[in-house]
Amino acid sequence: MPTFVNINPFVELSNTVPTIALQGFLIAMAALTIGGVLLDIKHKKNVKYFFDNAKKAKEKAKTNVPTGKKAGIIVKTVAHDVLISGEFCGWKRQVAHLLGMYGTIIFWGASAVLVFKYATPTSVTPVIITNLWHLGMAMTCLGAYWFWFFLRVDVAAEGHKWYRVVFTDLFVLSLVITSTFGLLWSFFQAAGSAWSNLFLVLFVISNIVLFGGVYWSKFAHMFYKPGAAIQKHLAEADGSRDSLPEPADAPEQFGLGIKREAPRHY
Amino acid sequence: MSTFVYMTRCDGCGHCVDICPSDIMHIDPKIRRAVNIEPNFCWECYSCVKACPQNAIDARGYADFAPMGHKVRVLREEEKGTISWRITFRNGTEKNFVSPITTKPWGKHIHKVADAEEPDQAAHESQLLFNEPDYLKIGDNREAELINEDGLPSRAKDTFKQGVYY
Amino acid sequence: MADHKTVYEDCDILIVGGGMAGTGATFESRYWGRDMNIVCVEKANIDRSGAVAQGLYAINCYMGTRWNENQPEDHVRYARNDLMGMVREDLALDMARHVDSCVHMFEEWGLPLMKNKEGRYQREGKWQIMIHGESYKPIVAEAAKKSASKIYNRVMITHLLKDESKDNRCGGAVGFNMRTGDFHVFRAKATIICAGGASHIFKPRAVGEGMGRTWYAPWSNGSCYALPICSRCKNDSNGKQNCFM
Repeated sequence: MPTFVNINPFVELSNTVPTIALQGFLIAMAALTIGGVLLDIKHKKNVKYFFDNAKKAKEKAKTNVPTGKKAGIIVKTVAHDVLISGEFCGWKRQVAHLLGMYGTIIFWGASAVLVFKYATPTSVTPVIITNLWHLGMAMTCLGAYWFWFFLRVDVAAEGHKWYRVVFTDLFVLSLVITSTFGLLWSFFQAAGSAWSNLFLVLFVISNIVLFGGVYWSKFAHMFYKPGAAIQKHLAEADGSRDSLPEPADAPEQFGLGIKREAPRHY
Repeated sequence: MSTFVYMTRCDGCGHCVDICPSDIMHIDPKIRRAVNIEPNFCWECYSCVKACPQNAIDARGYADFAPMGHKVRVLREEEKGTISWRITFRNGTEKNFVSPITTKPWGKHIHKVADAEEPDQAAHESQLLFNEPDYLKIGDNREAELINEDGLPSRAKDTFKQGVYY
Repeated sequence: MADHKTVYEDCDILIVGGGMAGTGATFESRYWGRDMNIVCVEKANIDRSGAVAQGLYAINCYMGTRWNENQPEDHVRYARNDLMGMVREDLALDMARHVDSCVHMFEEWGLPLMKNKEGRYQREGKWQIMIHGESYKPIVAEAAKKSASKIYNRVMITHLLKDESKDNRCGGAVGFNMRTGDFHVFRAKATIICAGGASHIFKPRAVGEGMGRTWYAPWSNGSCYALPICSRCKNDSNGKQNCFM
């Protein structure tokens, strides 16, 4: 195991940058996120659409779902669709998303702990937190680069080259670049190299792009998607189902779920 | 009218892009969700609607004949071998249809022609396809003059219906 | 600016088009050409390509010779009558006398055919039999997938190649990958053109929101005519469907 994953880079950083500035930066990023999401909601009217949808489903409902059952559905949705990203229709997409999702959560969580508790020149950081911080970034890089080079629908189905960047790539690209620069900063700073300053600056900039771009990027999907999934499953339970037909009750007569090979990407 | 995508349900998997026979389902570069880029060339074949794993695609019938406020939605379940349609009218009337799409497990009963007996030179020169004459099933037919020298069904010339046809 | 490559494929039998005709040709070719390299090239995806992409609830021309319902000559007379004499009778006869065995084979593959009380196929008129054909194309495409050596999806063939060593002979075809833009060159000993017919040649009579809508698939844009014409075939293509709308 390379030693840089055991060293908390914020400790050395706090020699030159006051701790309060580091903490202020994190708070600023959080504020940018909240502000961006609120602006997004106001602009896209998606919360209004969400409640309108709920109203439509209620009008078309065939049965009344008791509260206890509703709670059960919500728990199941959280467990299946949210926690294990079960909505994805292919295992590769699911695994890549899980790596990226949990990697980012661990990375951000560990960042908060490091910056708010162990970012002074004399801090003694528990190794596990530092390891988790690096692990989070590594997982994010693994999942996001896999997605970027191979799984992204523009590359996989549309045949575009991996280096074609469009507006919608803002979130994934800024997220993976942030994680990459974070790892590089930590590596070079532990090695005592002057390159660490460059990567620190790039790390800061990519964080600002990531959190500042919330209004324009797909960042906020992490807040909207669980709500949409819950709504979908509640609609299935009450019979409205977005006007979709019920699954056929014909028994699996053609070979107990023989799944054909899906039509390939080109 | 052409197909359209519900953004909240679409997750950008690209199955519709893969299947569209008209090559008009593509991914929007601003939001990475599916979009029908050329409604004029949509034949409403419903291939994308059936292929979408999230049921995120829908189509509206032409205003010339489809009643206003209607909804036609489909669920194709390949493992069960069924296709289900639900047609909803604006007054709440609902019509449900379920049809089979296959009677056998997919691909299991396709003849392994490469393993069949090799055709000889006479077979190559004859007019019969690989599964003929057995699959014509005219063994059920007692009337021998209905089979010509090629082994294929035919009608005797003197039994042709009389009259002038262009 | 993007790096397009040229992809070569040498095959024994090249089938241009992966619709009902192309997939059928692929399957049949495998029986006659045992270990040959049989390649089927389709501009869309073979699972849902061609005019039967959406499925079909009837087979429009079934003789029923096994029950003495019709004979191939009856069909030729019907087609000649319908098209005011503008038919190739020999091709119509050939198609009609083979169609029954194909339908019986599809039934064995899993295509659901509707039956009437006597156990015969349910007819709707003299020539049509009714089927549950939503997956008519996927079922036939399965057969092609199992028979072809390789299937190229999303490759559009634009030109046929002339064989330089043999006179008056097609040597294959070239085309473009619809996704990557790569140039594909197929060199084949025999080429079967099963591409689509041509819709939108005349403006359809549909009005209102359905204006411009054709009965035939809009993605059948004339390849099966264009390919031989552009390669200066003297003897024009055989067996093309001809409909008046």
